[in-house]
Amino acid sequence: MTITNKILKVLVLALVVPLTINVAWAQKTTVDSALLDRISALEQQVADQKPGESHFMVAGLATFGFVKSKTTFLSPGGPGVSVKTNSFGDADHYELSPMLIWRHSNNFLVEFEPSFDGSSIGVNWANISYFAAPGLIIHAGYFVVPFGIYNKKLAAGWIDKLAGDPNGLDMPGTDFGIGLSGGFPLGDMKWGYDVSLTNGLQLLPDGELQNAGIVDNNKGKMVSGRFSLLPLSNSCLEIGVSGLYSSAGDVGSNFTTANVKMYGADINFVKTFNPFLINIKGQYNRIVVNKQNYVSQADTTLTYSFDNKTSASFAQFSIRPVGVDNKILKNFELAYRYSNYTTPNSSTWGQNSYEHDFGLDYWITWRTVLKFTYAHSHALSTANIPAGGVGGTTNVNSIYLQFSIEF
Amino acid sequence: MKKIKIHNKTWAIIAIFSTFIAIVITGCVESQKVASKGGAQLWAENCQRCHNTPSPASFSHEQWVTIGLHMQTRAQLTAKERDKIIAFLSQ
Repeated sequence: MTITNKILKVLVLALVVPLTINVAWAQKTTVDSALLDRISALEQQVADQKPGESHFMVAGLATFGFVKSKTTFLSPGGPGVSVKTNSFGDADHYELSPMLIWRHSNNFLVEFEPSFDGSSIGVNWANISYFAAPGLIIHAGYFVVPFGIYNKKLAAGWIDKLAGDPNGLDMPGTDFGIGLSGGFPLGDMKWGYDVSLTNGLQLLPDGELQNAGIVDNNKGKMVSGRFSLLPLSNSCLEIGVSGLYSSAGDVGSNFTTANVKMYGADINFVKTFNPFLINIKGQYNRIVVNKQNYVSQADTTLTYSFDNKTSASFAQFSIRPVGVDNKILKNFELAYRYSNYTTPNSSTWGQNSYEHDFGLDYWITWRTVLKFTYAHSHALSTANIPAGGVGGTTNVNSIYLQFSIEF
Repeated sequence: MKKIKIHNKTWAIIAIFSTFIAIVITGCVESQKVASKGGAQLWAENCQRCHNTPSPASFSHEQWVTIGLHMQTRAQLTAKERDKIIAFLSQ
């Protein structure tokens, strides 16, 4: 072998070996990179399927308790009759409402909330919301009609400071339809709107109104809405006004011209004055049905009329020492509510009533509460007795021990 | 030429509606004071309007995102408030 050949071999080796190492290294890097990508994708899949990381979730609320009541009825000029009851939850004081929520992307939300109240299974919400723009949510389905603050925001057992609901505020209820809602900043302030178009209310033969329901009884529709303003920059004060218009008569009935107007106002003030958290809430509802002739229940050949106007209101105050050091004391909350309910004079269901509710709550967690409530209500009948109404006075004293949880 | 009569009531409705639209178009901007609020402050201010302030540990990030949308439908939160509160609760 000549020197020249030796030199050539060394040169070839010097070129081939680094080239081979380089190619092998590049392949290794390529393999590792693909492998890492694959692992990363698998990790993401695992994370997506991990319990609690799904776009589907179940929330909801449960309320259970014990009620001891004494009802005294005084008929006009007659003797008083008292009835005492002791019972665990009934239709008014028991509720289990799991809510199934599905978030489809960040623009769609599907909510379904069945509810068992001790006697039947109903539905509170079956609704699809589309988040169209920062201040525009379009929703459709079966939902709580926007009116006032109580029904939509405060009625849940784990939110309500007292065991029962104020009388007469269940209107207009839940209905099928479509709605728009949203909130906007306004300098230091904030405002919001919540409006809907739904099937509407139904006027019953005695002039009472049936909550918005699942059966559409006429061609007319119901327009309802609430506008709210939070005038202070810390959002501690909220003032709302509500309005509603609905045709209410059944097709083919004597009430084809019947319509309902509702007006409402509400207030919500929540602020900490160290060490106390002060909570003031209130709402006023007014329902007006236009003039109609009603058939007497006592004698169906007779008709009668009355001024079909109903009002309902409540004012609530509660105080909780959230700022004290004592871990037990800071979980107690004292609450008081006055509510008033006046149904039409000279109707068969006319009455003037009020209720005082006194409550002591213990908050086990932020969403679990044990409530003790004493309630006294008084109702004086203003009913049209010849038409089938019942006169007299009714007093009810009740003691509640109630447990409520949001899950 | 026939004059078109417009009732005072109609003028009043037009004035109220125009004022409302003007406020909506020109006024829906948050002040510097409001814009500088963090998620923790908004969480404290807004949640307790209806219920106790929730513990951040109660739900996962994905669940807080869902709950944020749900609460926006109930409480008319602005979109910025919702996002800031979710970011705080997800920490």
